[in-house]
Amino acid sequence: MAEDLVLDTAIRDWVLVPLSVVMVLIGVLRYFVAKLMRSFQPPDRKVLKEGQVVLRARNLKAGANFIPAKSFRARRFYFTNEENGLLHVPKDQAQNAQAQMFSDPNMAMDMMKKNLSMIIPQTLTFAWVNFFFSGFVAAKIPFPLTQRFRSMLQNGIDLSTVDVSYVSSRSWYFLNLFGLRGLFSLILGEENAQDDTQRMMQMGGFGFDPTKCLNILLAMELYHFEVVVAVVWYIADQLVGANALLVDLLHALVEGKMGDLVDAFPSTKLAGLVRLVTHDEEEVDVAARAAELHHSLSAEKDSVDIVQHEWVLPKMEQRAEETLRKLVK
Amino acid sequence: MVGAAEEAQLNRLESQVDNGGGGVWEYLCLVRKLKARRSEKVLKHGLSILNDPKSRSRLGGDEWTLYEQVAIAAMDCQWLDVAKDCIATLSKKFTGSLRVGRLEAMLLEAKGAWADAEKAYARLLEDNPLDQAMHKRKVAMAKAQGNISAAVDFLNKYLEIFMADHDAWRELAEIYVSLQMYKQAAFCYEELILSQPTVPLYHLAYAEVLYTMGGLENLQAAKKYYASTINLTGGKNTRALYGVCLVRYPGYFTHGFSPS
Repeated sequence: MAEDLVLDTAIRDWVLVPLSVVMVLIGVLRYFVAKLMRSFQPPDRKVLKEGQVVLRARNLKAGANFIPAKSFRARRFYFTNEENGLLHVPKDQAQNAQAQMFSDPNMAMDMMKKNLSMIIPQTLTFAWVNFFFSGFVAAKIPFPLTQRFRSMLQNGIDLSTVDVSYVSSRSWYFLNLFGLRGLFSLILGEENAQDDTQRMMQMGGFGFDPTKCLNILLAMELYHFEVVVAVVWYIADQLVGANALLVDLLHALVEGKMGDLVDAFPSTKLAGLVRLVTHDEEEVDVAARAAELHHSLSAEKDSVDIVQHEWVLPKMEQRAEETLRKLVK
Repeated sequence: MVGAAEEAQLNRLESQVDNGGGGVWEYLCLVRKLKARRSEKVLKHGLSILNDPKSRSRLGGDEWTLYEQVAIAAMDCQWLDVAKDCIATLSKKFTGSLRVGRLEAMLLEAKGAWADAEKAYARLLEDNPLDQAMHKRKVAMAKAQGNISAAVDFLNKYLEIFMADHDAWRELAEIYVSLQMYKQAAFCYEELILSQPTVPLYHLAYAEVLYTMGGLENLQAAKKYYASTINLTGGKNTRALYGVCLVRYPGYFTHGFSPS
């Protein structure tokens, strides 16, 4: 389509700018609310120790070639041996941690509290955008796009002949959602650039690949599902005073859903997803972290197991010889 | 550990501050960041800031960190009443705080009241069993009292939990060397090399421990580690050069002439 739509500048003044301003303000507000609501969770000894064990195992893997073969083998045995190796997790323990996470109502409450700070502003803003700013073209994207993007970007616009570069305000909302991270890092200081996508994508070494859109969509589905469950749970339990039956039904629902996802994802990614659901960098639930750590422990164990030791020190000797010769000359 | 460039900067700032130029606050911040132990200078300049209400108010929120720094420096120089004043100010502002509690226990330590200090640390550790600094203070106290085996015990227990703390491994290695338990010291140095393989200091220390242990295999390994120290320092470390010569000395008699 070669026609050029002329967009009213009033759109820019009254749609694009206010929407960005509102999102920035909501982000700042959320940061302060999160800071207020943050409860100090005392560090769990077991989790702390396991974290340190993982660090030490990684150091072992990294520096394996710098220590003599005998000491490396002794250390490897210490970490990976079947009876009391530090990284060895007996099979049943690994399963329990995850099941435990979803059958404990307290944890669901905690989860809900953390998710609240993200879900409510997002939902509200999205609803607001849809209600007030739908049905018209808001902006033109400067580069041409294929027809496949039409459903994503032109949601409120019911004309199928308009060029795909003309998008609705919903896409401006999403653009802001993903793009304001830089602004937040400027305003709130370097470490506090907590925008939603970054929190969603921080996986702490699980190799969760954010470019796999399917994974993200499924993960978001799980996330929203968990939130819905948690909210219903909360309402049922606290406000209505429902009986245990309802809670049990929800347990079953959640576990069924988790079961589907267990089939869909390999175990390492699943642990990462569990972390996605709990959704908060600092205060990941103990069981979730335990589940993660069990996965990371076995991952570390495998990687330490396969390290081939090649003592690099003899090469150092030769290099030292050359250095000295150069010095003497 | 303080790198050479940072040390040069620290010395420069120190001389600047001593000769009356400005930059006192930067000097104090640098000392705090590098954890260098320049207690007299810190005490002198820190007190000059704290006693002057104008410059104190200029610091704003950092004034409390300065109080803490000056308190520790005062304890190091045994100016205990200065330390007590600083801690009193801090505890008035932050009542019931863990950090201030730790400072108070350190003051008891500095006074030499070991039993009271131990009781204070035990109480603090009950509330916060996973505080790293507290454990380390216990080790330091045991060491100061001359009870080295207790210090080793505490340090081992600490390292069971916090096994990725390389400063603790270093401390343990030095204690073992002083106790002449060379095999254990070698183990600790191996841990250090694993965590930071490019620091020549650890290679050198490991080589020395191996050389001290003796035995053909250890001497050969020591030679290799001296060589890697030479490699890492570009040949500038005299001790490593001596080490290589000394290690080869018995080698002349067992292996005959070897090149270089």
